[in-house]
Amino acid sequence: MKKSLFTVFTFAKINTRRFFRDGVAIFFTIIFPLIFLFVFGGIYGNKTGGVSFNIAVINQSNSSFAQQFVSNLESNPIFKRKASVTTLTDAEDKMSRAELDAAIVLPSDFGNVAKGSPYPTGQVQIVYTQNNQQSASALNSILQAQVQAINVKLVKTITPFTITMQQFNKNSLSSFDYAFAGLLGFSIIGMGIFGPVNVFPELKKMGILRRLSTTPLRVWQYFLATMIGQVAIGAISLTIMFIAAFTVFNLKVVGNWFELIIYLLVSIIMILGIGLALGGWAKNERQVAPLSNIVVFPMMFLSGTFFPRFLMPQWVQGISSFLPLTPVIDGIRLIANEGKHFADILPQIGLVGLWLVVIYFIAFRVFRWE
Amino acid sequence: MAIIEVHNLKKSYDGKMAVDGVSFSINKGEVFGILGPNGAGKTTTLEMMETLRPIDSGTVKIAGIDVAQDPQKIKYLIGVQPQSPAFQDKTKLTEVIEMFAAAYGEKVDVMAFLRDVGLEEQANNYVEDLSGGQKQRLSITTALVHGPDVFFLDEPTTGLDPQARRHLWDLIEKVRDRGISVVMTTHYMDEAEILCDRIAIMDNGKIIAIDTPKNLIKQLLKRGFKKSLHVEQANLDDVFIDLTGKVLRDTR
Repeated sequence: MKKSLFTVFTFAKINTRRFFRDGVAIFFTIIFPLIFLFVFGGIYGNKTGGVSFNIAVINQSNSSFAQQFVSNLESNPIFKRKASVTTLTDAEDKMSRAELDAAIVLPSDFGNVAKGSPYPTGQVQIVYTQNNQQSASALNSILQAQVQAINVKLVKTITPFTITMQQFNKNSLSSFDYAFAGLLGFSIIGMGIFGPVNVFPELKKMGILRRLSTTPLRVWQYFLATMIGQVAIGAISLTIMFIAAFTVFNLKVVGNWFELIIYLLVSIIMILGIGLALGGWAKNERQVAPLSNIVVFPMMFLSGTFFPRFLMPQWVQGISSFLPLTPVIDGIRLIANEGKHFADILPQIGLVGLWLVVIYFIAFRVFRWE
Repeated sequence: MAIIEVHNLKKSYDGKMAVDGVSFSINKGEVFGILGPNGAGKTTTLEMMETLRPIDSGTVKIAGIDVAQDPQKIKYLIGVQPQSPAFQDKTKLTEVIEMFAAAYGEKVDVMAFLRDVGLEEQANNYVEDLSGGQKQRLSITTALVHGPDVFFLDEPTTGLDPQARRHLWDLIEKVRDRGISVVMTTHYMDEAEILCDRIAIMDNGKIIAIDTPKNLIKQLLKRGFKKSLHVEQANLDDVFIDLTGKVLRDTR
């Protein structure tokens, strides 16, 4: 047994050293996921101010009240007014192209003081398209509140019930925090699958694995050596991603670090099994390329790496929840972002464990030395 | 004393007999050559002995151990030099030796093995910087790293220049002098004549002659063979062509 493990560690050591001499491999396993991290970090990281609406304000009234109302809207950071849009037809045109969320129309009698009335009156119109119902109703409540405030100033009323809002900012998660788990999943799949898939068929073509098969080296020793190397490389790659996420994008991890690291390591090993199975089975690159795409792409798009799964149709969610990468990303998210412990994520752990057994069973069965 | 005993060995691919009932034995410490045209079954025979191909029927025993029964044990007894040796790139020569020794669970004096084949100066180079002949030599030393009893070489000098070939012959003789039995295939008759203690000539999956090169030439001359230009001399080339015919074989 001691001799067997000496074999494993020697292979792991030399193959890992080899990896760090290979610029292309380093680029694809370490730099490439980092680029994605910065791209997605840039997309998600900047939305710190929350929501805003692109609106057009069409003021058809000449009253000073209307003018004041408009300048009030403009000073509100929630509204981004497109000043160039002055007519309703123009606004409708822009709305249909989704350049505007809604148009706010102040009719010509807006803010006029009727005879015998002590205060001005008027009706604000919100014009929106079918696609913008949500923005419109949000706009409606915002404007409602503003109008209410004006009303209170003009007419003394008693308000027995009121609502106040308070923002709760402590420990809340940014959208980047959520996206980060998906980026980790992307990195794990990149190195775990494309690593062996690129390397093994080439070694077979050159007869290198065949030569090894004339030595007493066993398949499990070769797999274990690859696994150790991969975990080491994966640890480095993910550590760099974590450092970048902490320093540049203010990543917050609320969960237990020990549990997170164990979960990441097991996930790396499980996903690596897919690469070992594909690369171990294929005789050459031509055989493995289409198959690995069939396996990788559904996971890349359906497991929640780049797009949240809750946005997908119900039936897609149902299927994708069983893909090997889905419990990996969900588990990371639950531990890192929601502070869950192993006991809380047993479904994810169970699924990862099940895939681990199934994948390695297949990998050992289909492995060929040539 | 025989170290290898092959008895009625058979292998067929798609109904065609690649190796058709081959029997021979190889003595300890001798260089045994398997000769034959392309597609004669040399490499298949060799690969069955090396545990690389499943055996259809018949037996191969090395040091009394049945290859089909206990391939794992056999792997400790044999060293294999493939037809075209290749190594993972970005790997140093020292690391190649270290890895092959580790495959047998052993740690060896890496430099001693490199010195054996005259590669100590390249010790820290990457394998992709080696010439064809240097790769052959590295491959030989990796095959001997665990001290095998039998050393298999499949067409070791194909594609090498005359100098590299002669260097390799010296190496193979050095291996033989250490008491290791050598089994090799080759297309070159001069190589077989110089290196091999005994040779087997194969054609269509069968062994059609087996003896020392000297005896085979003698037998040919006895049959009344005469060279057209040089009156009385014949060499192994003549034996080979006489036995297997002149038709060009392109199949593998």
